[in-house]
Amino acid sequence: MRPCGVFDKTYEKDIAIVRTWQHWTILAIAIVFLFFLPFILSYHLVSLVNHIFINVIVVLGLQIVMGYCGQISFGQPAFVAIGAYTSAILTTQFGFSFWFALPFAGIMAGIVGIIGGAPSLRIKGFYLAMSTIATFFVTIWIIIHLKITGGNTGITPPPPQIGSFAFDSDERMYYIIMLVMLGMTYFARNLVRSRVGRAFVAIRDNDLAAEVMGVNLYYYKLLAFFISCFYAGIAGSLLGHYYMAISPEQFSLMHALIYVGAIIIGGMGSIPGVFFGVTFLQIIDELVLYGGPKLAETFPWIGSAPAASLGVTAFGLVLIVFLIFEPRGLAHSWETFKASYRLYPFKS
Amino acid sequence: MRKRYLSVAGAFVCVLVFVGFSNPSFGQEKSVSYLSLADYTGPSAGLDNFIQMGSEDCFKYINDRGGVDGVKIKFIGVDTRADVARVVAGYKRYNRDPKVLAFWNNSTPSNKVIVPLATKDKLVMLTPASGEAVAKPGYVFCWGQTYQDGFGATIDWILSDWQRKGKTGKPAVGYMNLDNSYGRAHMEGGKEYSEMKGIKLLTEFYNPGIPDYTTYLTRLKDCNYIFVGGVDPNPTNTIRDAHRLGMTKTTQFICDYWGPERGSGMGIAMHNEVVQDAVLVSFFIRGKDADAHPLAREIWPKYRQKPMKEMQGGYIGGFTLALGFAEALKMTLKEVGYEKISREGIYKAYLKLTGSKFSQGIQTECTYSPTERRGSKGIKFYRVKGMDLEAITDWIMAPDTVSLHKF
Repeated sequence: MRPCGVFDKTYEKDIAIVRTWQHWTILAIAIVFLFFLPFILSYHLVSLVNHIFINVIVVLGLQIVMGYCGQISFGQPAFVAIGAYTSAILTTQFGFSFWFALPFAGIMAGIVGIIGGAPSLRIKGFYLAMSTIATFFVTIWIIIHLKITGGNTGITPPPPQIGSFAFDSDERMYYIIMLVMLGMTYFARNLVRSRVGRAFVAIRDNDLAAEVMGVNLYYYKLLAFFISCFYAGIAGSLLGHYYMAISPEQFSLMHALIYVGAIIIGGMGSIPGVFFGVTFLQIIDELVLYGGPKLAETFPWIGSAPAASLGVTAFGLVLIVFLIFEPRGLAHSWETFKASYRLYPFKS
Repeated sequence: MRKRYLSVAGAFVCVLVFVGFSNPSFGQEKSVSYLSLADYTGPSAGLDNFIQMGSEDCFKYINDRGGVDGVKIKFIGVDTRADVARVVAGYKRYNRDPKVLAFWNNSTPSNKVIVPLATKDKLVMLTPASGEAVAKPGYVFCWGQTYQDGFGATIDWILSDWQRKGKTGKPAVGYMNLDNSYGRAHMEGGKEYSEMKGIKLLTEFYNPGIPDYTTYLTRLKDCNYIFVGGVDPNPTNTIRDAHRLGMTKTTQFICDYWGPERGSGMGIAMHNEVVQDAVLVSFFIRGKDADAHPLAREIWPKYRQKPMKEMQGGYIGGFTLALGFAEALKMTLKEVGYEKISREGIYKAYLKLTGSKFSQGIQTECTYSPTERRGSKGIKFYRVKGMDLEAITDWIMAPDTVSLHKF
């Protein structure tokens, strides 16, 4: 819903993401705030924000293929792994700089994603979900058994560098991760408003109708997988150089469930929903991380193990609660909340 | 609508208030902390839960008796689900707390990320059986014996068993384990040791989580001995499938430290008939030995209120982690006092634990020193008999196989 009294007099203004001076002000303040965040937050919270931003990039990609194009994918962690390994191999074994390896990791993951997404041309729904799970297992198996990937031992990529300045701490890596995340969000936001985005939505809503209207299903489905995996690859590259260590076990099927869970909680087919979903899940995890030991300390009869294990229970419960009470996710709640306040007191 | 959102926000704030301001009972007294980054709900939960329960109960026991020279030890348990991101998050959440003086991390894949951080923070890390920690001595200490040394001791046991049976030549030995860094660890030195002893191993690695092991077992069907890795119920399920194939009649199955365990819901109880006579190699006492241990007889009934037969091996093994930390703390307190206690002090104390018998017979004496990171060097072999584990050897000093491998 647009604020009252806002009129668009030109087409450019009509399609603009940032419309009013209030929007510009909020955006400027938010960007300044993001730049100063490492100075305000503790080291641990900066690390938490880094994890959130990396996961946002992964889930943005998943949102494009799943939320917008309607193709179920549980293979996302495999493409994160491909990105991480591509970047690590390029930097450690071929001497390329991180800045070259980063986009190349995305492209590599995207190309493999096209292969992984190819079954979507013939199958959909649960069958596609199963095929993407198979893609995940095959990819991880290949990674384990290739010599260049270091097998189970993995690789230790160096931190990104500009000259002699190394991005080797949480605070330094934050700026790279944050800028990449902002760029990827901007791209995703625009993509879904473009001809391509509309084609994705048409396929999601009714692929037969979309085909009748002239949407090339093969092209757009594979494009959705490419873009989705490109995002995952970029996130993987960032993750590898942030941890400065990667091994196959860092990429599990549980992560695929968490990514899909983030979309369900945040809201299918919504870019802000990605931020809501990822942040919400990460905060729950964080509360358990801190609250579990506190709970065990306050009520010793519970014991540390059950208290610490609340995370898994919390994830499951939250997912069930959202599916029952808010299936359109937090993004929808946010829109309703904004509308409710805008109309107050004229709406009860 | 507003009321609904406000009530949700109110509930969220209440949770934050509880988490942020709950009054810790340790606030007013002298205390230090031990961080446990454990897998409470992930793939190795069956093992790690009991180890952590053991450590936690042992700390409670020490605290109930006044702590270590009046200093209480706080146990912080964090569930990592063996997920690297969660291990990192858990570590970074607590590592800046100066009271955290040591931490446990059981997830081998996360070690690559965590070890450099622990080294940077000069924080003692305890981990199950990493050969790399022994090869490159730093801030990482092995709980007991390494995987490869345990495997080396098994090779020696196999050879003596082969001779005992009056057989000539060399036995055919198979090795079956998870296709991950843990499953491959035994071979990093263990393989070289086997070759040195004239045994050519047949190896099979499987993906974590598979429901059936038949395919892998059929490739090892001619082996006289098969070493089965994995965390219970993995090894039990492997032997279950071998039993179905009739292999348990002709092949001796040997499991590593995390093999079939007793207690409800564990391997020995679930598939009792098939795991009979399976051998288990261990660096801490188990089964009847564990039941008879005075410390276990005091702690298990007191804090778990269950019969001794329900106590898993990992539980009593977990005591040694707590007792080792308490011993290092005691030494540090004696040297510098509570006010000046530091991570560096605890690290130095760990290096001086050589020869200490803090484990009270649960393991052999401690061997930590400036050049040594094995908690103990002793290995004991057990056999599944009925619903329990019976010792078939006394403590055996395992061969050093770590030095045979280039890490």
